[in-house]
Amino acid sequence: MLVFQSVILGLLLGGLYALLAAGLTLYFGIMRVVMIAHSAFLILAAYLAWWTNERLGIDPLLSLVVTVPLFFGAGVLLQRGLLSRLRPATLTMMSVLITFAIALIIEGLLGYAFSGTQRRIQLGYGTASFDLFGARVAVVKLIAFGLAVVSLAGLYLLMKRTQFGWALRATIQHQDAARLVGIDTERTAGFGFGLGLATAAVGGTALSLDTTIYPSLHWHWIGPLMAIIVVGGLGSVPGAAAAALVLGLAQSLLQIPMGATWAQTVFYVALFATLAVRPQGFFGGRLAQRF
Amino acid sequence: MTLKTVGLRKAFGGVVAIDGADVEFRPGKVNALIGPNGSGKTTFFNCVTGMIKPDEGSVRFGDRDLTGKAPHVIARAGVGRTFQLCRTFPRMTAIENVLAAVRPGGIWHGLRSAHRRSETERAHHWLTRLGIEHLAGAEARNMSWGQQKLLELAGVLMAEPKTILLDEPAGGVNPALLDRIGTLVRELNAEGRTFVIVEHNMDLVMSISDHIVVFDRGRPIAAGPPAEIRADERVLGAYLGV
Amino acid sequence: MPNASKSLLSYGVPALVLVAAIAVFPSLAPNPYILSSGVIVLNWAVLATAWNFVGGFTGYISLGHGALAGLGGYATGLLITKADLPSFVALIAAAVLVAALAVPIGFAALRVRGASFVIVSIALVLILLLVFQSWSSLTGGSRGLVVPRPFPGMLRPEHHRVFFFLYGGLLLIALATWWLLDRSRFGMGLKAIREDEDKAESLGTPTFAYKLTVFVISAAFTALAGGLYALWFGDLDPVFQFSVLTGSYVVLMALLGGVRNLYGPVLGAIVVGIALEYFKVEFGNTPLHLVTTGLLLGLVVMFMPDGVIPSLTTLVQRLRKREDSSIREMSAADLAEQRREREAANS
Repeated sequence: MLVFQSVILGLLLGGLYALLAAGLTLYFGIMRVVMIAHSAFLILAAYLAWWTNERLGIDPLLSLVVTVPLFFGAGVLLQRGLLSRLRPATLTMMSVLITFAIALIIEGLLGYAFSGTQRRIQLGYGTASFDLFGARVAVVKLIAFGLAVVSLAGLYLLMKRTQFGWALRATIQHQDAARLVGIDTERTAGFGFGLGLATAAVGGTALSLDTTIYPSLHWHWIGPLMAIIVVGGLGSVPGAAAAALVLGLAQSLLQIPMGATWAQTVFYVALFATLAVRPQGFFGGRLAQRF
Repeated sequence: MTLKTVGLRKAFGGVVAIDGADVEFRPGKVNALIGPNGSGKTTFFNCVTGMIKPDEGSVRFGDRDLTGKAPHVIARAGVGRTFQLCRTFPRMTAIENVLAAVRPGGIWHGLRSAHRRSETERAHHWLTRLGIEHLAGAEARNMSWGQQKLLELAGVLMAEPKTILLDEPAGGVNPALLDRIGTLVRELNAEGRTFVIVEHNMDLVMSISDHIVVFDRGRPIAAGPPAEIRADERVLGAYLGV
Repeated sequence: MPNASKSLLSYGVPALVLVAAIAVFPSLAPNPYILSSGVIVLNWAVLATAWNFVGGFTGYISLGHGALAGLGGYATGLLITKADLPSFVALIAAAVLVAALAVPIGFAALRVRGASFVIVSIALVLILLLVFQSWSSLTGGSRGLVVPRPFPGMLRPEHHRVFFFLYGGLLLIALATWWLLDRSRFGMGLKAIREDEDKAESLGTPTFAYKLTVFVISAAFTALAGGLYALWFGDLDPVFQFSVLTGSYVVLMALLGGVRNLYGPVLGAIVVGIALEYFKVEFGNTPLHLVTTGLLLGLVVMFMPDGVIPSLTTLVQRLRKREDSSIREMSAADLAEQRREREAANS
């Protein structure tokens, strides 16, 4: 029964991983940027959700109304204002440093504004849970999972069904060819970054529902997320989603014999194994071959 | 030493760039590889020099099998190349650009000074030969387009290849330099180096090459001396789309 | 020989100044605290120079060198406490161990280009923090690991002085090694990788073997610095040894001073190292450290990615000979742009 419980929890967690990894994959696909600050924005969104609840006394989910557009704008600004100004020859390395610097700044500002104290949202339905074929599932975890699934589905529809999604996919696959058929790749890239950061806003809110947060928490997220996108084959959204579910499940199951801390190492083991054995990842993605 | 490919194939996703190419270049001659845009010439070059691993087929140089080998192994086997739109080391001086092509031996060899007399003299020789000796101390990024093309060739020659692949040597150069490049290729060929040239400039191709291979949709459709190729209807068809 | 005099001026003179400064600083230091700050700054200088073996030569940026230093420290400490090795034997053994461990790490990180190297370097810090905190039966976990002093009975100021000289010696060896590589064929190949990895490979440079070798050398020097720190400080805590911040300070120092220059990282280490010590005294440990580091790092990357020394040099040169530009200017970025347009047209 414990195993079944872990499978359910692992899948729920994997959903959140998948959403966040989708954001990272977007950045990498568009500009070959490894966006270290992604999880810092995640924690920032979680703090904003907590603050909304603490100060305004309203449901943290409502903070999405503000954080999603806000993060979208921040993403566009980040791409247009900073990353697109770097020299193409050194873009990969320098963009890592820029986003790393942003992560430090966010962590520092969070620590300054809210102190290093651990925070947790107290919700009326925070302890509610229900029974699913004998496994106990917390309502908040299901809400978080639901948010992730709805956002991922929205992202998928946006990518597959809309004019913008078509332009974005063309930009990811072949920037120059996209430019030749008249796509404004610069603008598309900016919006792509906005979308990526919007996933962090959703993810952060979902995270805040049942997680204790503190400023340096983002380091515990960026490691697993980077492992996921490498295992999934850098640049492939479905690959990242598959890797997220598999690794989320593995983490959850390994917690039973190994405990929570050691179970986290599964991500790093998977990362090293992938790079040593199959650097292009296990779930497709031809971009990865040269990175 | 004959450079040849057998059944070479490379696909990107659903797009087949090279489709079972059997090509044999004439040793000791100037070979040309021509074909319309998108016919797979550059991908073919990249497969031969190891920049891309082919899906199927083999690359042979003399009696060595070079299929799927790393680029540096292929370079050391004696196949040198330039890149489409030349590539130099932008923040290194011209002389360093050429010296970077010195073949490192073992560890102790590698720890020797990069500016040893014998090699520096050889590097200066190539710069002189290509007429850019006066720029030896200039950083490559500050050199003109044509100068960079010559510099790239100097580096390739420094590595002492037996066969040299040139990817669009005439691309973006002025008529005077074009003449010089043509003459250089003939001279270097007369000294025993084999050339394979991908080129769009038909005047250059027809005037300097001994053997021409025509590519269309990822495979050779004709091969022969310039006069023959000029008269071949399939070649015209490939270019004009009829 | 203008070349010889130039290299004497740019390598020899600073070397003499550095040796002299290391020799006299301990006797000039007004109190043990300043002397201990000097040890810390020299530790940074060694770390930044060691980092620059990878960063400067190949252009690969590692954010995880802090972890290699931490590993060197813990390996030294554990070899002394658990294997009863003499302090300095343990130090050397630890460096050899870390260098050996760098081979599989480098194998995973360097087989493909750029991005995965950065990912692995950060992952290294995170995983080691996890392991060293959790495996408390071996490492002491968060309680820390006490490393016995190599010179029992020595007074504190004397202890600082000895370690100042040890670090000074290590720095000079690291610099000499960097200089040796810089002028060697091996170094030429590494710089070619930094400029254009495909091109270097097509000219016959075995790029993977080169990158791996220099990464291992870098790891060994980093581990030596970490090990010396363990012997000097005597107490290791995973949170500080495996902190992402250590790596980012090192990167900031090297970039600020200039990665293409032998003395760039040392200069950066002196500036940033002193600033860090000063801020620690004035403001204590506040989250604003992070903000300042982040801002500085961002500014350096955006506005002077070549570092302060080269930026100033080019500025001076540009002012001095403004008209002297007979050779057409065309930057690498322009070329790359052209190349991409052309490739798009051809595909």
